[in-house]
Amino acid sequence: MKLEVEKSFDQTNRRWTIIPNGEIDVATVAVFRGLLDEAFQEHKGDFIIDLKDLCYMDSTGLGVIIGAYGRIKEKGFSLSVQNPRDNIMKLLRITNLDKILCPEHQA
Amino acid sequence: MPDTLRFSVPGKPEYVGTIRMAVSCLANTVGFDIDAIEDIKVAVSEACTNVVCHSGGLTQLFEVYCEVGEDRLTVSVIDKGSGYDVSQYKQPCLNTPKEGGLGLFIIKALMDEVDIVSEVGSGTRIRMIKYTR
Repeated sequence: MKLEVEKSFDQTNRRWTIIPNGEIDVATVAVFRGLLDEAFQEHKGDFIIDLKDLCYMDSTGLGVIIGAYGRIKEKGFSLSVQNPRDNIMKLLRITNLDKILCPEHQA
Repeated sequence: MPDTLRFSVPGKPEYVGTIRMAVSCLANTVGFDIDAIEDIKVAVSEACTNVVCHSGGLTQLFEVYCEVGEDRLTVSVIDKGSGYDVSQYKQPCLNTPKEGGLGLFIIKALMDEVDIVSEVGSGTRIRMIKYTR
């Protein structure tokens, strides 16, 4: 399965919404990494990565998100992940990344 | 003798998804539930990704063996790449996340048994077992 990524920038809130659709693995991760980097170059701002349409992701995708999180945070902005499916939430939990990437789960 | 399925796979990123799908179909056939199938899918993908990314470009083909046991599925991913010193593997520090190094950690978390044999210059074999409950 391929990966398609929708992105939009909200000028008022200086916030990107990134919606990957499909699968992020070793074959598609470079596209995702490139898109996050290009977006951040284009407009500096916060990032919401909405995973509602992502059916598969493994450590390759998690790695890119962690990398982007670090670079974005360094510049004073935030990155968070929303709506992961159960399979992806499980990976976020076992790697403890839910604590930094999914603030809405930190009740 | 358990039934064994063998796949010979070109060491290229685009085939990792094919193996992931093939092994998850097999796991479904064997009777694993959806959660276990997802675990197997990710673990197999991680092992194949390691081959494709870390075997030093030496792997033209790698092998994936799936043994269907009475109470288990055993998947072995075997390459003839550059290998590495398993004793040097460091578990990632989850409090200071980094971009790489999560693959083996995830495999170990998702599968019931995992063993890794690797020799520098000869290649690597990761064997993973998931039990049907």
